[in-house]
Amino acid sequence: MTLAHIFENPFLWMALLGGLAASLTSGIIGSYVVTKRIVFISGSISHSVLGGMGLFLWLKRSFFLTYLTPLQGACLFAVFSAFLLGWIHLRYKEREDSIIAAIWATGMSIGVIFITLTPGYNVELMNFLFGNILWTTSQDVLMLLGMDTLILLSTLFFYRRFQAICFDEEQSLLQGLRVQWLYIFLLCLVALSVVVLIQVVGAILVIALLTMPSAMAARFTHKLSSMMKLSVLLGALFTTLGLWISYQINWPPGATITLIAAVFYLLSLGSQKLKHLSFLRK
Amino acid sequence: MTKAVSVENLFFSYDSTPILEDVSLTINEGEFVGIFGPNGGGKTTFLKILIGLLKPSKGSIRLFGSPPKHIQPLIGYVPQITKLDRQFPITVEEVVQMGCLKQESFLGTLPTSAKTIAEISLKKVDMLSHKKRPFGTLSGGQAQRVLIARALACQPKILVLDEPTASVDPKAEEEILQILTSLKKEITILMVTHDLPTILQKVEKLLCIHRHAHVLSPSAVCEHYGLGLYHSPLMPKTLP
Repeated sequence: MTLAHIFENPFLWMALLGGLAASLTSGIIGSYVVTKRIVFISGSISHSVLGGMGLFLWLKRSFFLTYLTPLQGACLFAVFSAFLLGWIHLRYKEREDSIIAAIWATGMSIGVIFITLTPGYNVELMNFLFGNILWTTSQDVLMLLGMDTLILLSTLFFYRRFQAICFDEEQSLLQGLRVQWLYIFLLCLVALSVVVLIQVVGAILVIALLTMPSAMAARFTHKLSSMMKLSVLLGALFTTLGLWISYQINWPPGATITLIAAVFYLLSLGSQKLKHLSFLRK
Repeated sequence: MTKAVSVENLFFSYDSTPILEDVSLTINEGEFVGIFGPNGGGKTTFLKILIGLLKPSKGSIRLFGSPPKHIQPLIGYVPQITKLDRQFPITVEEVVQMGCLKQESFLGTLPTSAKTIAEISLKKVDMLSHKKRPFGTLSGGQAQRVLIARALACQPKILVLDEPTASVDPKAEEEILQILTSLKKEITILMVTHDLPTILQKVEKLLCIHRHAHVLSPSAVCEHYGLGLYHSPLMPKTLP
């Protein structure tokens, strides 16, 4: 895949754009997810989103509501589950993890049932689960860029407040921050970025892009803002490289991107170990 | 004169487990008070009620004549360092600026005055030269001093510390106590500690919390301590 290839092939062009749009959100929001340790919650949101996609696909095909798209359903369910999870975090803390798992599985089941009910030949389920970045349309890319802008602006304005509630909730309360609303707002941003990422790697692999670039960046940075910048770069590297390899050897792009990220993450863990060993030898 | 802290017949329980029962006490402005008692005796709960993060089940608590919630911006709170994630990517400067968050504009910018206050607070605990360092790379004593600076950055009238000397070496402990001693008179200080002998000469009052609270003068504790009677609860037998 050379530069000329990309410009000749609109699918690749869109795929690359989609991948870059996804890295931007995964780097920024992933850094909050990793530092606030809400990976499992993000996993729950990303899987329950399948319910919305299935429902909207079914509505569209069964009732010929052509203006509906699975992406809209995904947004709706993502934000809904974010509110639900935020509310549960505040009310039922002691059983939080069980409820997170319940939402995870329930959303997925709703999705599977609606997709099965949808008339016609269904390839969508596989695409929703594992992503198909090559199917990204220009409309999708526009929507992704819109969400990128929203996420970027929110983080710009709320950077310090989000950092505060991630680092020390009690102190934030004392400072008069509305910690609960900020937490739900952060979860909504996570939800929206999940929707963005589903386009690229699918519901099952979303956590990969939300966590691995950020977790890797965390090893080399000591400031939230630099962690974000580095993980955006790493995300862009993984998606582009993954896309290129999957195009060359005809592997599914989502899974390839995830594997690339995993290989790099492992290498970064290993390199740290090596440094440690050489330090011992001195 | 209004008291810095006045508590009357305060009760607190989680569900049906009583944690604090019938606590009444007063603390004067500018006093340095040490709080001790057995683990699980309700020390941290008492502090959380004091700073308005928990509501008492019964009774009243007033800080400078107002309920804690109303006076929260004037409370500096230093949590146990183990409660914080030392791997969190944040610099010393950013930690201290958290103490000025209430001055942040809606668009997320801090006024220069807040940044100056943060620097002054860092200077007070002698950590200004470390302001760019990652919080996670500090030693226990340094991290604790940074948290004290954060509490000072909100220009408090009352400073509440939860075991600031629990996980630091004796030298760092001495430094922390020196900082606190230099602050008393201007600020009322309440500090939970396990290290009674060290703070005895520094405090004006001691508070033993073991479901009930007992205010003791340092000299009274000295006598008990001298007789080898330091065990909890440290109080007359007649009490339940």
